[in-house]
Amino acid sequence: MTSYSKEVIADLVAGTLPWPQTRRVMSAYKDDDRFFKYVAVLQDRVGWKDPILLPVSDHLFICQSGDERVTRCECGHSFGDYRKNWKLNASIIVRNTEETLREIYPNSDLPDPEWMEIREFICPQCGTMHEVEAAAPGYPIVHDFEPDLEGFYRDWLGKPLEPMNKES
Amino acid sequence: MLDKPASALRIRERLIESERLMEETGCYDGITELSLRNQDPLKFETLHTKLRAYCVSAREMARRISASPGVREVGEMVVAIYTPEGDAIALSNGIMVHVHTMSRFIKWMIRQGYEENPGIVDGDIFANNDAFIGTVQVPDVMDVVPIFHSGKLVGWAGAVCHELEAGGITPGGDVALAQERFTEGLFVCAEKVGQNDELRRDYVIRCERNLRMPIYWVLDEKAKVASCIDMRESVKALIDEIGLDYWMKISKEFIEEGRRAQLARTRQLTVPGIYRGHTFYGHVTAGKPGYQPLGDPDWLYNMPIEMEITSGGKIIMDFEGTQPWGYHSMNCTPAGMDGGMFVTLTQHMNFEGLVNDGAWMATELKLPHGTWTNPDNEMVATATSWALLLPAYGVFQRLLSRSFIARGFVEEAFVGQVNSPMIEMGGTSQYGSLFGMAHFECAAAGSGALAIKDGLDTAYVGWNPESDMGNIEIWEQNMPMVYIGRSIVPNSGGAGKYRGGCSFLSTWLVSKTDHLRLVTSEHSSRVFDNGGMCGGYPAPTCQKHRAVRGSNIFELAEKGAPLAHHTGTNPHRSELEVRLQGEHVTMEGPYITAPHKTGDVFTHSYNGGGGYGDVLERDPIKTASDVENGYLTREAAEGIFGIMLDEDADGYPVANIEATKRHRAEMRAKRLAQARPVSEWIAKERGRVEKADFAPEVKKMYASAMKLSPRFTKDFSTFWNVDAKSAFGVE
Repeated sequence: MTSYSKEVIADLVAGTLPWPQTRRVMSAYKDDDRFFKYVAVLQDRVGWKDPILLPVSDHLFICQSGDERVTRCECGHSFGDYRKNWKLNASIIVRNTEETLREIYPNSDLPDPEWMEIREFICPQCGTMHEVEAAAPGYPIVHDFEPDLEGFYRDWLGKPLEPMNKES
Repeated sequence: MLDKPASALRIRERLIESERLMEETGCYDGITELSLRNQDPLKFETLHTKLRAYCVSAREMARRISASPGVREVGEMVVAIYTPEGDAIALSNGIMVHVHTMSRFIKWMIRQGYEENPGIVDGDIFANNDAFIGTVQVPDVMDVVPIFHSGKLVGWAGAVCHELEAGGITPGGDVALAQERFTEGLFVCAEKVGQNDELRRDYVIRCERNLRMPIYWVLDEKAKVASCIDMRESVKALIDEIGLDYWMKISKEFIEEGRRAQLARTRQLTVPGIYRGHTFYGHVTAGKPGYQPLGDPDWLYNMPIEMEITSGGKIIMDFEGTQPWGYHSMNCTPAGMDGGMFVTLTQHMNFEGLVNDGAWMATELKLPHGTWTNPDNEMVATATSWALLLPAYGVFQRLLSRSFIARGFVEEAFVGQVNSPMIEMGGTSQYGSLFGMAHFECAAAGSGALAIKDGLDTAYVGWNPESDMGNIEIWEQNMPMVYIGRSIVPNSGGAGKYRGGCSFLSTWLVSKTDHLRLVTSEHSSRVFDNGGMCGGYPAPTCQKHRAVRGSNIFELAEKGAPLAHHTGTNPHRSELEVRLQGEHVTMEGPYITAPHKTGDVFTHSYNGGGGYGDVLERDPIKTASDVENGYLTREAAEGIFGIMLDEDADGYPVANIEATKRHRAEMRAKRLAQARPVSEWIAKERGRVEKADFAPEVKKMYASAMKLSPRFTKDFSTFWNVDAKSAFGVE
């Protein structure tokens, strides 16, 4: 069975594993013990103790926080119950003028702000940009991911989560 | 395990039985146990590899028969071996889109009673390019031949080439101006086009008399027939070796194994749950010559996609809430939607090569009736289906990538594809003859970023996993234009910690013709056609076309003065305007205009992919290298990524790490100062939504989606807490 050390996984996640080795990881049969090593690597990276249950973006993690499961930024900021759309508790910058779009696209033709705007979802604590939506004005904010967290741990990983004590 | 030797049933009855068994057992053809695999796994794998080798070898041989640079250079071809019921057992590399579309074609003939009339006998050749029977678009012409052994139908061999000319209202294959089926070009609707291993002369004559460049189509037909015969003979020889009953059993076990492998791979690589994303496509044709007033000239399409990964590992894609079909060439049939799904899956989850229709059986598409994904009118045009397919399956790639990131397989996350705009042409060639062609250098655009590195520059398209732009010299042999530039477009990848791959722009001088029609398709206007991921930005994918009619380029060349070789980085004044005199043209949307002639200059740019991660995390050293090599501009490095560059003694850019840290801290502080709570923004925007205070095309998009989808209406109303139907005047 394919398996890699935690150090190799850490380098892979950081984008620092040399390309020839990365290429071999991509081509080889997948390592079935990846998930928990991956979570351990991420747990070392964050500055807080709440156990990470599932990464959902580059710096966003669902974690166990006391009796609750919340979506947390790498800086520690909580966006609330993981079943709710974390974006609704984020901060936002909307680029819907030629001037603000030009800041990101200095050399190309721009979208028509009447047809499309760029929405940047930002952590209100550390300023990390977690997600960008390109959407028509008026388009509802997307709830990107609703994982079947309990089913995943129970049926796919064979390690059921402790039941939550209360509904958030 | 149900044991079915070469069946005595009529093939139509056998197809119905096979589908019933799948329904009853949940397993392909009722195969609940992989008994032959269990008996001898090595033999099982060896035989599957052999079948794949037959396919790969047949395709490579056939490419040498073709006259089309699309097939010879770019590899726009795929071949496959099927069961008698039309399910793919093994396939070659190439445009894998068509593995299941060809399956639909075979099944369609069986259901229509082809066994009785026109009959299916050894040596027959059947062809099809009707998307409602089973292909993606008119230029995707497929040929299949039955495989008989011991007097029984034991399978099919099939091949598809993408034709560079289809004889439609505008030249090329992806007939941009087609607004109905009747203008798309030459249709071959599941037709018997050959007998005794030979194409019928009357069919070839029809092709010769209805196409601008029949040599491409006709020699591609010969290439496909040759590959099919090659595969057929290989399969027959294999059956001689292993026995007919063994073949009938193992060929089906391969498919059931493929189905199980896909489910297992989904459980291995992803996380169950619901994933959502969307993208948009703008189509602008108002005032352009040739468009009939059949509908609104300008359209904005929304493509919301919800993907469910079930606990069993099935992937279900739902397009509820998208737009109705329209009087344009961008509609898609369920066969085309299958094709998009199949080619994406083969790239992202089935990279070991032993893939077949089993993978498709482990997925489900929900295509709302009446939308562009499943038109309720079979007369709609589908000639440029990829215009909407590519953005849609780019979303699929991002959704899958989210699941890979959640599971830890970050090396597989891939922001995905955008459109690869196409240029097609026709008229009088440089040799003085009639010609028509699609230019296929579009097969090498920029890819989206990965979660661990930048995207591929000028080396990716979604529809052909073996990207290749072809050699300039070969293209120049086939069209009356010469290259005066082929350049990487700086900043054409979406910005991010890892940037999207950059694309390129070609600049041509029209040469030795007084009548060259140029037409473009599959490029979005006014909106980007896909997104970034995890904080990365979308790539700038709404480029306009720039041309110069009657330029003074020959005078400049004679004087040895500088020429324009690209459009440059000033969006307000292109290099063409700086360097060349003549009538300057900037055109939004499809380039449809009067013919060009010698001395005119034309540019066409392809697209880069979306970015991944926060721009403020991008590596300054790598960025200096990007600036040095023309992938990013210095302006972008500083303004978007916050990376300050100095120059070394030789004038090359080097990152100033300390200044970068300071600049980024300022940018982050500015971000936090500018940002406001989403709840505040929603409260303010709600007033605008309630008044439907949007551009007419945006309003129409919402109203159209609401008319077709109660779920879209409900979600929209709930999000904004408004009566959406009332706001948008929907009955």
